[in-house]
Amino acid sequence: MFLQTVVTGLSIGGIYALMAVGYSLVFSVLSFSNFAHGAVIMLGAYIGLGLVTKLHFGLGLVVSGAMAGAGLIAIVNEKLAYSLLRKRKAPSLYLMISAMGCAVFLENMVYATIGSRFYAFPEFFKQSVLCLFNGTCNIALLDLFAFGISILAILGLHLFLIHTRTGIAIRAGVSDMTMCSLMGVNLDRLISIVFFLAGIFGGAAGVFLGIKYLVYPTMGWVTNKAYIAAVIGGLGSLPGALLGGLILGVLETFVSTYVSSVMRDVFSFGLLIALLVWRPNGLFGRDTGEKV
Amino acid sequence: MNYVLSIVTLAGINMIAVLGLSIFTGFTGLFSFGHAALVGIGAYASAILTYYYFVPFPIALVAGMAASALVSLVIGIPTLRARLRSDYFAIAILGFGEALRVILENLEITNGARGLPGIEPFTTLPIVAGCLAVSVWVASNFLRSRYGAACIAVREDPVAAEMAGINLFRTRLLSLVVSAAFCGLSGGLLAHFLSFIQPVMFTLVQSTALLAAVIAGGMGSISGPLIASFIFIAMPEALRVAQMWRLVAYGLVLVLIMLFRPQGLMGYQELTTFFRRSGHERRSA
Amino acid sequence: MSAALLEVRGLTKAFGGIRAVDDLSFSVAPDAITGIIGPNGAGKTTVFNLVTGVYRPDAGSIDFEGRSLLGIRPDQIVGAGIARTFQNIRLFNRRTCLENVLTPLLQKAPYSVPAALLRTPGVRRMDRELREKSRFLLAEMGLEKLADVQASALPYGLQRKLEIARALAMEPRLLLLDEPAAGMNPEESRALSALIEEIRERFNLTILLIEHHMDVVMRVCSHIVVMNFGALLAEGPPEKVRTDERVLQAYLGKEYRNA
Repeated sequence: MFLQTVVTGLSIGGIYALMAVGYSLVFSVLSFSNFAHGAVIMLGAYIGLGLVTKLHFGLGLVVSGAMAGAGLIAIVNEKLAYSLLRKRKAPSLYLMISAMGCAVFLENMVYATIGSRFYAFPEFFKQSVLCLFNGTCNIALLDLFAFGISILAILGLHLFLIHTRTGIAIRAGVSDMTMCSLMGVNLDRLISIVFFLAGIFGGAAGVFLGIKYLVYPTMGWVTNKAYIAAVIGGLGSLPGALLGGLILGVLETFVSTYVSSVMRDVFSFGLLIALLVWRPNGLFGRDTGEKV
Repeated sequence: MNYVLSIVTLAGINMIAVLGLSIFTGFTGLFSFGHAALVGIGAYASAILTYYYFVPFPIALVAGMAASALVSLVIGIPTLRARLRSDYFAIAILGFGEALRVILENLEITNGARGLPGIEPFTTLPIVAGCLAVSVWVASNFLRSRYGAACIAVREDPVAAEMAGINLFRTRLLSLVVSAAFCGLSGGLLAHFLSFIQPVMFTLVQSTALLAAVIAGGMGSISGPLIASFIFIAMPEALRVAQMWRLVAYGLVLVLIMLFRPQGLMGYQELTTFFRRSGHERRSA
Repeated sequence: MSAALLEVRGLTKAFGGIRAVDDLSFSVAPDAITGIIGPNGAGKTTVFNLVTGVYRPDAGSIDFEGRSLLGIRPDQIVGAGIARTFQNIRLFNRRTCLENVLTPLLQKAPYSVPAALLRTPGVRRMDRELREKSRFLLAEMGLEKLADVQASALPYGLQRKLEIARALAMEPRLLLLDEPAAGMNPEESRALSALIEEIRERFNLTILLIEHHMDVVMRVCSHIVVMNFGALLAEGPPEKVRTDERVLQAYLGKEYRNA
């Protein structure tokens, strides 16, 4: 039972990590909480759904397609809703409101056009379940796949940030945006890339969530967990987001299994508050101060 | 006629909550997408008192306000500290909204997701009008006082505010508690008007509507959000627009206003400003 | 010899790998105007931020009127008698000039939240008195006609004056001015120098001043602290600093040798 709980926790944790990393990436570069991230995730799920039901793509193509689609949506989202504010150096309050406005707009557009029906993905894995440790532990192949992709994607991001020119530029942007642009980096392009990356992670998370559970217009609000995971890991830290996601997933599943599945959301909120009381910087958070 | 009266009453109840959020977001500059949860606390607290314990209505209303205020402290104390970014509070109150819904849906006393029916319809239009008038008066007093001046200073420039002798944490917290009290009052009036409340009535949807009214009406204004709130309630009812389209509109309104007219309708001004003639008229940049 | 009003000893503050302030020690004599000068990035504003509690020092001590300021919140430090203006002017932009000056005054009014919510006669009386006081302070700065004008609508020079008026509202013993003459032409800086001396006299202040305009510094300061790379480079009366080799080398350049 214990091992099973850990495994299940890790599988949902991987998805949380994917979402948290996407959110943290934007936060660390732009110092801004993109609360529209959930909407991007939701749209990723719907795109994946469309790809499989209308075009009968296989799993790989569905995930890639959803990732690409969500990435593009994220770029458009940035260009339309945030870039003007960013250029005007508007206070973060305005950016957060714009982000929420987008989230509400997109979610309800889907609600109004596609409908409130809950959709399920068709079976990809024919119910294959791995039995480990002489049957004490069941892992759905899907969970394994999702977890694997999550880890690979985050590792890929890590390599990208360290070894590519764009990645290095992003890391420079994290420290100092102005300096970055003075060094000749095209800020607009850099920011689009950052959002694209956050989008593809979101798209993957959306598809996995859709396959694991269901697809519906308000599924984007699962990102609340991502935000909490990011805080656990330390706002602005990417390894923190990964760890935070996994830890939250595992802890939540323990609460779900041993206490009550209903109390899961209450637990996450309680954990957040407790964390903020004792250790607001989370595991790896940086203390970003404002220049006075 | 009855129908129009009930719309006006609902609008009035909504305006009190909008007033509360206006103090927090419009005047203190803090982001919240979860004040509907604070309305819900007030609604359920007062309803439980009148329904199960036959507490007199006025006392139940005050208890509802106190409950909202106390709960807001739980969220506010860890998250509004001076050195913490506003993102922490935003995330916390989003999480709180979800957690509250789950709690309400799973408690015996709240009758779960089915909702609590049969609440005594104590709320009447005169009562709402009276509460609204008192609320506006109290809010205006608050904003003119040293505490209100502190809130506005924190909105304008937290660093300069601190160097003007303002305690950032206490100011933000007070702003939250005061706004929560208004929302709690609104919730109590709502519960006893609709005679029925459900957890799903106090979620992100309603928080969006509240914020949309504050933003559209104008930050830093009392009259602006009240007018916007009235329009938002009255208009869709007149047009019988389905809720989801209403929300599409709210979302769009929020984005467009932030992009093109952040001061909204009445930003930083009051209805009374327009009636003032030369002499001591405020000249804007 | 009277005790120093502000005593800074061994003050150190690093950001990441950079030492913004490096083992700095100096004192500010009461009733005097002391200047802090140094090239850009020398750490001058960081010193202000450390004194006013915005940053916590990594090492060292800051004593004001004999009491340590370490670990005290900025708003408490204001209460202890220190006020400041900012390099980049931080006014309450959407408030009027009067409201800008009134805000810190109001914070001293001792009425409670319930009294505020009901706007009792006591509250109203205090409000009236403090408004009068604000007008008086605005008049001191020559801004009384602009009382109801929004702060952001003021021209740059007047905004600086408003910031000073607001700082004076806190009835400080020590006033920290961060580059008050920034962006001013020679005539304006002359007027500012006169203003600084006037308010020091009128309000019985001790002033600590960061400036790049040498004419202002040399004219009003009785004591100058020179910083470079976060550390103390030289210290002393204007004549001495003006001719100090190290200072000239680091900062002033050859022109001032002959000034």
